[in-house]
Amino acid sequence: MQRFDLYQEEYHASPLENVWIEFKRSHLAVVGLIFIIIFLLITVLVPIVAPYNPDLQNTNALLLPPAWEASGSVSHLLGTDALGRDVFSRLLYGIRVTLGSSLFIVFVAMIIGVGVGALAGLLSGVRSSIVNHLFDSIMSIPTLLIAIIVVAIMGTGLYNSMFAITLALIPQFIHQTRSFVKEELSKDYVLLDKLDGASSVRIFFTSILPGMFELIVIQATIALSIAILDISALGFLSLGAQNPTIELGQMLSQSLNTAYVAPWLIALPGLVIFMMVLSVNIVGEGLRSALRNRFKH
Amino acid sequence: MIKLFIRYINLMVITIFALVLLSFMLPFFFPGDLLTNISGITPQSLEQRQALEKAFALNESIFVQFQVYLSNLFAGDWGVSSVSQLNLYDEIAYAFPATLELMLYALFVATFVGIPVGFLSGLKHHNPADMGVVTFSIVGYSFPVFWLALVFITLFCLQLEWLPMSGRIDLLFEVKHITGFVFIDIILSDLNNTKEAIENAFRHAILPTLSISIVTTCLFIRFTRRSIMDVMQKGYIIAAKSRGFTQWQIFIKHSFKNALIPILPILALQISTLVTNAMIVETIFSWPGIGNWLIQAIYQQDYPAIRAGMLVVALFVLTLTITLEFITRAIDPTKDETARAAV
Repeated sequence: MQRFDLYQEEYHASPLENVWIEFKRSHLAVVGLIFIIIFLLITVLVPIVAPYNPDLQNTNALLLPPAWEASGSVSHLLGTDALGRDVFSRLLYGIRVTLGSSLFIVFVAMIIGVGVGALAGLLSGVRSSIVNHLFDSIMSIPTLLIAIIVVAIMGTGLYNSMFAITLALIPQFIHQTRSFVKEELSKDYVLLDKLDGASSVRIFFTSILPGMFELIVIQATIALSIAILDISALGFLSLGAQNPTIELGQMLSQSLNTAYVAPWLIALPGLVIFMMVLSVNIVGEGLRSALRNRFKH
Repeated sequence: MIKLFIRYINLMVITIFALVLLSFMLPFFFPGDLLTNISGITPQSLEQRQALEKAFALNESIFVQFQVYLSNLFAGDWGVSSVSQLNLYDEIAYAFPATLELMLYALFVATFVGIPVGFLSGLKHHNPADMGVVTFSIVGYSFPVFWLALVFITLFCLQLEWLPMSGRIDLLFEVKHITGFVFIDIILSDLNNTKEAIENAFRHAILPTLSISIVTTCLFIRFTRRSIMDVMQKGYIIAAKSRGFTQWQIFIKHSFKNALIPILPILALQISTLVTNAMIVETIFSWPGIGNWLIQAIYQQDYPAIRAGMLVVALFVLTLTITLEFITRAIDPTKDETARAAV
């Protein structure tokens, strides 16, 4: 259809640009994104940013309160713990372990989950039914239970808890991918591919996967917030990261001994976990509503 | 309908069988002596060892061992804890109702706060009150449960000294263990100060319930809000509006029921989160439930206890999930298996 254009070129934003335009409209989501970027920068640049070595003990300043308290000192911004270690540096290193391991877990779970999910979606009949119900059942087993079994068999430690949480996250990716693939397979453009003689593997990679990108990203943000919460929960129960490793949940459980004298040692690591999860959730929410509304304008 | 029922019964039986098989295999993977892992008893002499091996058919083929395991399982003979040497069946029967109780309180709060608030804010979406609810719910489900519980303890128990910190009831009240649910037990055990006992138990329950239910409530609010917003845009709602029905009539007759349908399967998915949270919070408040018990078992490397506890919790969660899924499908036969509500 011919339209009157004052300007010669008419610019059409790509779908991805549309998402960004829509995402920007929510200021809260942008703030969440900035927070995530700060956390990611901390994860990468920790040795440069941290003012002290996290294991360095300053025996002259044990259990120093944060700087804004009357007896605090500016040299230790957030105070020191029971062994005189700088809390601010330890928090930064804790962010590195907690966020870094969570990102890694989500990445691995995503690759495996999407692969198996695609396979389950392309299968049909009895085999598909067995695979589906099996993974749906695994999905409903609580994460903590899987972690307890893994720890009982392999012992405690950060890597073992990461393994347990990966196991718990995979079924969600499988479920989402499988139902998406099943839905798309019944659409006309896939039928067209089939008539052209494309194999099901080719259909998946060239036709279905590009459209699935957004679904995967959304699922990954949900999985990331779950992974952060679970890693720190297992660290808190001393089933996850063990002592020389600095992990936020494990820091929290160690400060329980001094909870009466130093409540900030409990408040601060929890607050950091909360901030991380909150910013991931806000960005996920913003992304979801951006995807929902992007073609409305 | 009958076909559907048979399918779900079939699914349930297969899943239960897979779980029992898994729990049978677990002791082979645990570190340490296989005989101790299975029986919970460390044999002191050769004769005792041989007797135990005979009892668990360890020298027979793996199928006979499984058979023996199954018959023991159904007879209620689940072995003994390798630390306390107490009967595991009795231990679990003591601990499990406490967890169930805590979960029921949390579900109660989540259902009777979360769903109405979700409906209200979804019906009047994009006004300031709705924005407030949305913000609150995003903040609410980002809390790490264990931290929330600790903050509550420091605030309400240590600073303000309003509420008790641990346990289900003060030890002064001699409540007998009958059903395992503390309120029912108080009424049944015929104390002379029943009223004080109930009040005391209630005060003990407030903080653990609050710590778990905030996360679940916020999720319920979000799901309900999204669901009612989607339903209100459907054609039949517009048709009803054009016939002149009031907002309230439409809500009662059409949107309420239709909005609840996609919430049910999500509720089924939330059970596993709820169980995990309940288990973590139990350890913080020393609530004598299965989560606390399992975590203690893992600290003490009590493998028979881990095996039995894992089987019970997993069976409970799976049975509940499959039942809820069946109910969802039975209520809404048009529902495609893969369709689930969005957040």
